[in-house]
Amino acid sequence: MARPRATLVDLLDRILDRGLVINADIIISLAGVPLIGINLRAALAGMETMLKYGVMAEWDQKIRIREAQHRMTPQVSLTAQDERLAGMEAEVPRA
Amino acid sequence: MSLGEIGIESHAVYTFAHELVCALVHDCLPQPYQSEDGGVAAAWVLSHHQVVEAAWNRWGTVLPLNFNTIVRAGNGGSASENLVAWLKAEQESLKGRLAAFKGKAEYGVQVSWDPAVIAWKTVEGSPDIRKLKEEMQSKPRGTAYMYRQRLERLLKKEMEAGASEEFKALYDRLRRVAENIRVDKIREAREGRQMLMNLSCLVSVGRYPDLETELDRISTKEGFSVRLVGPLPPYSFC
Repeated sequence: MARPRATLVDLLDRILDRGLVINADIIISLAGVPLIGINLRAALAGMETMLKYGVMAEWDQKIRIREAQHRMTPQVSLTAQDERLAGMEAEVPRA
Repeated sequence: MSLGEIGIESHAVYTFAHELVCALVHDCLPQPYQSEDGGVAAAWVLSHHQVVEAAWNRWGTVLPLNFNTIVRAGNGGSASENLVAWLKAEQESLKGRLAAFKGKAEYGVQVSWDPAVIAWKTVEGSPDIRKLKEEMQSKPRGTAYMYRQRLERLLKKEMEAGASEEFKALYDRLRRVAENIRVDKIREAREGRQMLMNLSCLVSVGRYPDLETELDRISTKEGFSVRLVGPLPPYSFC
């Protein structure tokens, strides 16, 4: 069974809406309620539509450049990242 | 210890530990990350994921936190002091959660079907529908039109029933393979397909081949397709 890399769409819900939510005094929250990625959702909803319709070339390029300039990821090679970004919405044909 | 400048906007990621548990952090302003620029927000999300994955690869088990979890100074302590105090207080709970994730990974499972293919199969496999079709042949135009509407409603109903059955059958099979399953919102599928199920499954390493077996089984059924994503850190099971 083919296993494509996670795309941005796969990660959005997981990272913004899930993960452990710490309810403690020491965590910055909005009126006592922990933030759950609400404000970013609006910006990213547009992204999903753009990804779907393949209107991504310019953004891919920007991100590629940004990542190349700044990233020093020990575990992930630049090639793998490029691959990941290029395949942002790509789905590997299944078995 | 330092993991390098792999944080959001290349912030240096480092650790705070208390006994067996450590937190990965990077410095930031005492306010949430907010942006109206989808590209910027997406880059943040990717950075967050890369840090979580780096920790996962390095230590074998990780408890991901929700995005924008920011520790502040306060109550007479610096942010660092507050974090360490929290780690100390939550030590047992955190150790327990981490232990529960050891040797496991999250997989995204999306099952879709091609409605055109499934409609054809449903018609072929339904005596009621076939009967209605036969009756319709001999009817005058007006009546035939009403038959056609009935046919469409019946087909829709049977396809929906079929979708439910498939969902239930596959879910039950996956429940035997995965430690935990979360049912996610159906997303829009592509290329004329319709998504039937969108799951996040927590699967231990030893059971991964069984997961593949179940998914191979469904993907070889005519009209069905499966998308499997992973392994991912256990975001959906925290």
